[in-house]
Amino acid sequence: MRTPPIPSVERPDAAQILALTLLVIAACLPLARYLHWQISAFLLLLFAVRLVGLKWRAAIPGAWLRALLTLAGVANCLYANHTLVGQDGGTALFATMLALKLLELKTKRDLRLTGILIGFLIVIQFLFDQSFPLAIYLGVMAFGAVALLVDLNGGLGDGRPRATLRVAASLSLQALPLTLVLFVLFPRLSAPLWSLGLDAGQAMTGMSDSMEPGAISELVLNGELAFRVRFDAAPPSPNQLYWRGPVLWEMDGRRWSPGPLPAKGADLPELEESANPIDYEIVLEPTQKTWLFALDMPTSAPDDAFINPDFQLLSRQPINSVKRYRVRSALDYRTAEPDARQRDRALQLPDNITPRMRELVAGWRTRADGDWDLVRQGLAFFNRESFHYTLMPPRLGANPADEFLFETRRGFCEHYASSFALLMRVGGVPSRIVLGYLGAETNRIGGYQMVWQSDAHAWVEVLIEGRGWVRVDPTAAVDPARVDNRGASRILGAGTSVRFSLDQAGALVRFARNLRLLADTLDATWQNWVLDFSAEDQFALLDRLGLGAFREYGLAVLMVLAVSLTLAVLLLALLRTPAAKDPLDAHYARFCQRLARAGLPRRHTEGPSDFGRRIMTQRPDLTSSISRFLALYIPARFSPNSPQKIIEDLAKQLREFHPRYKRPR
Amino acid sequence: MIKLLNQAKAWLTCYAKNLLHHVPTGLDGVARVGARQIYILPTRTGLMFGSVLLLMLLGSLNYQNNLGLLFTFFLASVGLVAMHHAWFNLLGIAVQARGGPPVFSGETAMIDVSLLAEGRRARHDIQARKGHDTALPVHVPGGNQRRVSLGLPTTRRGLLTIETMTIETQHPMRLFRAWCYIATDASTLIYPAPARHAPDPGYAAGDARLPDRTGGEGADDYLGSRNYRHGDSPRQIDWKAFARERGLVVKQFGGDQGQEVWIDWSRLAAPDPEVRLGLLTRQILDVSESGVRFGLRLPGAVEGLAQGAAHVQRCLTRLALFDHAHATDPVR
Repeated sequence: MRTPPIPSVERPDAAQILALTLLVIAACLPLARYLHWQISAFLLLLFAVRLVGLKWRAAIPGAWLRALLTLAGVANCLYANHTLVGQDGGTALFATMLALKLLELKTKRDLRLTGILIGFLIVIQFLFDQSFPLAIYLGVMAFGAVALLVDLNGGLGDGRPRATLRVAASLSLQALPLTLVLFVLFPRLSAPLWSLGLDAGQAMTGMSDSMEPGAISELVLNGELAFRVRFDAAPPSPNQLYWRGPVLWEMDGRRWSPGPLPAKGADLPELEESANPIDYEIVLEPTQKTWLFALDMPTSAPDDAFINPDFQLLSRQPINSVKRYRVRSALDYRTAEPDARQRDRALQLPDNITPRMRELVAGWRTRADGDWDLVRQGLAFFNRESFHYTLMPPRLGANPADEFLFETRRGFCEHYASSFALLMRVGGVPSRIVLGYLGAETNRIGGYQMVWQSDAHAWVEVLIEGRGWVRVDPTAAVDPARVDNRGASRILGAGTSVRFSLDQAGALVRFARNLRLLADTLDATWQNWVLDFSAEDQFALLDRLGLGAFREYGLAVLMVLAVSLTLAVLLLALLRTPAAKDPLDAHYARFCQRLARAGLPRRHTEGPSDFGRRIMTQRPDLTSSISRFLALYIPARFSPNSPQKIIEDLAKQLREFHPRYKRPR
Repeated sequence: MIKLLNQAKAWLTCYAKNLLHHVPTGLDGVARVGARQIYILPTRTGLMFGSVLLLMLLGSLNYQNNLGLLFTFFLASVGLVAMHHAWFNLLGIAVQARGGPPVFSGETAMIDVSLLAEGRRARHDIQARKGHDTALPVHVPGGNQRRVSLGLPTTRRGLLTIETMTIETQHPMRLFRAWCYIATDASTLIYPAPARHAPDPGYAAGDARLPDRTGGEGADDYLGSRNYRHGDSPRQIDWKAFARERGLVVKQFGGDQGQEVWIDWSRLAAPDPEVRLGLLTRQILDVSESGVRFGLRLPGAVEGLAQGAAHVQRCLTRLALFDHAHATDPVR
């Protein structure tokens, strides 16, 4: 079977094939981070063949070899991902097929199809990464695809690359208002229609629900953002910013864990007293956990969350995407006394308590006047003895608490919290560990606070008769002179949390910090206005327009109206596009405009020579420039075609003609 | 029932005719495309674009991926804007169609189409189309015009009126095709197809002297030679040339004011008028080539004795437009 010959208008030229190939390569490039290396290698091979084929057409494989390559591509996808569906498998297959299509570009139709599919390739990538830079990058790719389609249609006359780009730019710019309208008003689904193996369980860095030595210092090395906070009023002082997370009750000698969950509705968390309420909004990065962090102590939960008996704020669903919520907390509070069972839980000891630990506590107990005094004795011990605060503590063996207290004495917050809680339990004071974050970095540019993973912290709560659970932070007891920042600053650089207060930071580091603040502000704005825009925001908008009762229907009607209106405005703008002016007319118009701005407007009845004569009497200082201009302009005006030279001369004269700034003498 | 159906059909046809607005040609012979005369439909590429967009939309909606939605909406908006650009590209374009030179039936008649971009706005990718022939797309810079020609197959003699032709554009991305129908009265004359060979019309006996066939070698009478055609007299064949292996060549004589010939409808015996017209056409062509003064007699029309290209055209036009049914007796 012979295929009919391709008509010349449908035959793509080499520049178009090259442009398409480069576009596909560039659009695939960000995917390389997520694709299996074998997929990337196969794509690379196909791209190389395509590029070589531009020069030597013989390098392009024939139909049989292409079929073979297709089979190889599918096999490669199956081998690398073990599946052809799902996020990774599907993306790999699609990218492979698109690259294969590059080897079969016979007609412009093939190029068009590939160009259109680039749009799909772009959208797929947002399942992996939704960052602002990627969006900008892929925006350029989308523009490239539009320009390619324009070029493939042709019919634009000479000067092709420029004419093509101009048409593509005007299309894209005119499409922007419409895009905005659709984006804001297109009704969103509040729940997915189907779920097709979207890989939700990507490894997330963040706090875990247990604590062993080294757990938090590992987290501190992680430079990622945990959440952003915007306080309704002035933010509280930094030493009050304890962001409460999971509460750990049980210690097995090495590892703290939450222990069995308290029976549902066992005792509703209630604060006996609370003062200093504070309202704020948190935008939490996804954690795949249900924890919602809140300041000590949360008093009201958002609708889709609750406060558990440990006063931890918990969401009803895992946080798989960025979560925004409002909380109210009380900075001063008194918790209710727990029952005896809870008290016993908070006194359980692992079996590796050493005699010298018991001895130490016994010594405090004899001097102490009540439980609270024992707590203060303990804190004084950490302050007095040569305990060092460091991010890079020495490795601890089988009994970390004992080794830390009596031998290494160098540690991070988890070492201090863990050993302190144990010592309190030895001394008969019920205690538990709270994981969370401490402090926040103010973003002056964005007007909010940022809490980083490096702000992760662990502290202790002790139960004191008559005062309920009281927060104690043994890490804060360490003598500031013995805080070792070197490790932190070396590892974290400009990303160091404020907690390490790098006062020795130079101008470069400060500059880097400011840059980071700016980047985070951009990121937050992006997050808030683009990525997080949801059905609720749409309904809020509808409410503001007084159409809240109509819900989706109102939105749909509003969208149709707004789209029609935008298109009507576009059409009007198209119809009223002023025709490109004759350059001579344009120069004269500019000449008159400059004089008008200098307070010398032309009267409608005045021709150029009358106007010039009048100006020269009013502003003799302009005589020479005006007469020179008109001497060129008037004859050119009345000749059938004005030579380019005169137009250029007039433009040159205009460049130096500023009657407004040249004051009359 | 059938009556009702017929009525409905008639009504529908009428409605469709009204629906398909044509662009009328003005008094100056130029058709200017108005806003309501432009039709627009997605092309195959456009449908493909739409289905890919639909996939993107469903995926982004389902996975609540706002960036995906943003890009889907951007591309959809580009498509919508492109549709308006296609419409705008045709709007106000001025089209002037002219029939090309007359051709014989069976040959391809040409239509000259001038596309004018009045005003300063350039028009891109403008294609003229009539029937199966599509001209190559042209770019018309603002204030300029471009000419394209369209070929039309012909099957019948007479005046071929173009009636409607299509002007279309797929600018800017070939997602949409915008087109309009130009109504034009431009026409091309189609001469009858000449018969392969025709009998010698015979030289007029009463009206002129018989040509001197024996003294054909007269120096001032010899006009040149042409290739032999079936039906030529063997006496006119240049046997010397044949002997020099130059093929069969016929010597032509003429230029003599005295040689005249009448090509006459009534002298032919073929019963079918169209066949007769074909024969007459062939005779006119033959005679005009030999340079003899000739006249044409048709029932109801006479073209006097004359010579030259204009005369040939006049005669052929008579044949092209000859209406046998309404022809009266020949006027002598």
